Amino acid sequence: MLEIRSARKVFYRGQPDEKIALNDLSLTLPTGNFAIVIGSNGAGKSSMLNAISGALMLDSGKILINGDDVTSMPVHKRASRVARVFQDPMKGTAASMTVAENMLLAELRGKKLGFSRGLNAKRLASYRERLSALNLGLENRLETRVELLSGGQRQSLSLIMATCDQPDLLLLDEHTAALDPRTADIVMQATVRAVEAFNLTTLMVTHNMQHAVDFGHSVVMLDAGRTRLEIIGAEKAEVTIPKLIGHFGLKTDRMLLAS
Amino acid sequence: MDTVYTVISNFIALVPVTLAQSLILSFIVLGIMLPFRMLNFPDLTSEGAFPLGGCVCALSLAGGAPGWLAILAAMAAGFLAGSCTAFVHLRFRIHTLLAGILMMTMLYSINLRLMGKSNLSVYGTPTIFDGVPFAEPGFPVSKIVVAGLLGLAVYCLLNLYFRTERGTAMRAVGSNPDMAEAQGISIWAATIGGVGLAGAFSATSGALMVQSQGFADVNMGIGTLINGLAALMIGEAIVGKQTLRRQLAAPFVGAIVYYQLVSLCLAAGMPPTDLKLATGLFVLAMLALPTLKRARGPMPARETIRE
Ligand SMILES: Nc1ncnc2c1ncn2[C@@H]1O[C@H](COP(=O)(O)OP(=O)(O)OP(=O)(O)O)[C@@H](O)[C@H]1O
Ligand SMILES: [Mg+2]
Repeated sequence: MLEIRSARKVFYRGQPDEKIALNDLSLTLPTGNFAIVIGSNGAGKSSMLNAISGALMLDSGKILINGDDVTSMPVHKRASRVARVFQDPMKGTAASMTVAENMLLAELRGKKLGFSRGLNAKRLASYRERLSALNLGLENRLETRVELLSGGQRQSLSLIMATCDQPDLLLLDEHTAALDPRTADIVMQATVRAVEAFNLTTLMVTHNMQHAVDFGHSVVMLDAGRTRLEIIGAEKAEVTIPKLIGHFGLKTDRMLLAS
Repeated sequence: MDTVYTVISNFIALVPVTLAQSLILSFIVLGIMLPFRMLNFPDLTSEGAFPLGGCVCALSLAGGAPGWLAILAAMAAGFLAGSCTAFVHLRFRIHTLLAGILMMTMLYSINLRLMGKSNLSVYGTPTIFDGVPFAEPGFPVSKIVVAGLLGLAVYCLLNLYFRTERGTAMRAVGSNPDMAEAQGISIWAATIGGVGLAGAFSATSGALMVQSQGFADVNMGIGTLINGLAALMIGEAIVGKQTLRRQLAAPFVGAIVYYQLVSLCLAAGMPPTDLKLATGLFVLAMLALPTLKRARGPMPARETIRE
């Protein structure tokens, strides 16, 4: 369960280029709910995800995960609850380290680290198994440095890493936007599989209206730093692309192209 | 022909002494490599941590401490210096290089204050090099054995450490700090610990040097950084840096080869005063090599370092 209570974040406060990224935004996401977040550029979607992960500290407001107030917790303290996949495939993995080492880091997310050997045979076997589910051949490249993988492979790895230990909350920020249509499809399928298999509480930001229609239990639309619209239940089941786009005050080319 | 013969025989006569020297100095090369390659934190503290280690060691020896205890004291001081640099960078968001320069400059005064004078002789006090069987104390053999074994032990320990859960986490901070943080790794702990460890190694180098030469001098750090960098570049060119094992071996191999090269240049008649210019040009060439190689291709991405 995620609760955001009147979160507020202003950049460059008091200066001529003051930007209100989050304007008393409130949102509740019940456990096991998969919500799609849409909104025009600059609506505050990434800011909201950053605030949840701890990368952005709020000016005011509260964030609760499963009832615990995490508002003032730094990123690394929230890591045991929150997993994240970024838009940029470079951001979610450690490039100069191997696939197996990246998997290890993900497995250890938020756990107490010890002085025992990190990559043991048991772990390597389980990584091989998990990666083989992707059908990208990554299971045979455990010793490959991640910087040698393609963007799509890296993003798939990030996804497996984010979902491997069933986080309380999964944050996906346009995580297929940088991929070619076919790879985007593979990553999206893997996402849905993982989210459904573990019943993960998920927030997925996307500009792809088709995804917003096809996936998730609800659609949240942000505008100028607040939730403008929430579509849930039966209404979500009946939603169509034209309806969604109709809600945008300003139809950007990007959205039309993406749908 | 005659001159070539003299050059070579001069050089060969100096090989053992140079080897002892290079093994002692390999620790400072390690202290330069660790933050630079493992944490992506180019650090200049070593030029101050080296004499700091020397001063603390000399004071401990003068106070009657045994050699190994003096080294431990030096390591503690070096760790403190390194972690201060890391703290300055993390807390005040000062560029790593600037933080290192600040620390190095302040350490000069601290070293002077510690010793009370610019030079302290500890000649004749027992050292860590004394205990080697069959080797007369004071000769290069004992220094080679002790420094070499110490280096080997440190190499093996680091090799193990960087494969543990904690060690892997520390490397992740160097590879991608944002990702590491998102995996629950504290950037502060890893950076302070890692740069501190590097400072401890630089100080170890200074402490061994003092025990080897019998005195400490506040100016003993001058030039160690550029020498260490040059040694590191050579080591990485020889053994590579693709795997952890190679990356960790590079400082040791590099130090050994680099100081023999320097000795050869000096034996061949290069004026010692030109040494810094030559070393500087060499490091520049090594750093420039990747861009020169790809001069015709697209410009490679600039190496990103933490700011
Ligand atoms: N680090 C920052 N410094 C200054 N302003 C920022 C920063 N991050 C975001 N903003 C501002 O906050 C507002 C919301 O940005 P945000 O990135 O959350 O939008 P978004 O909904 O993710 O947009 P997009 O669809 O383009 O990714 C924008 O006006 C942006 O300019
Ligand atoms: Mg965004």
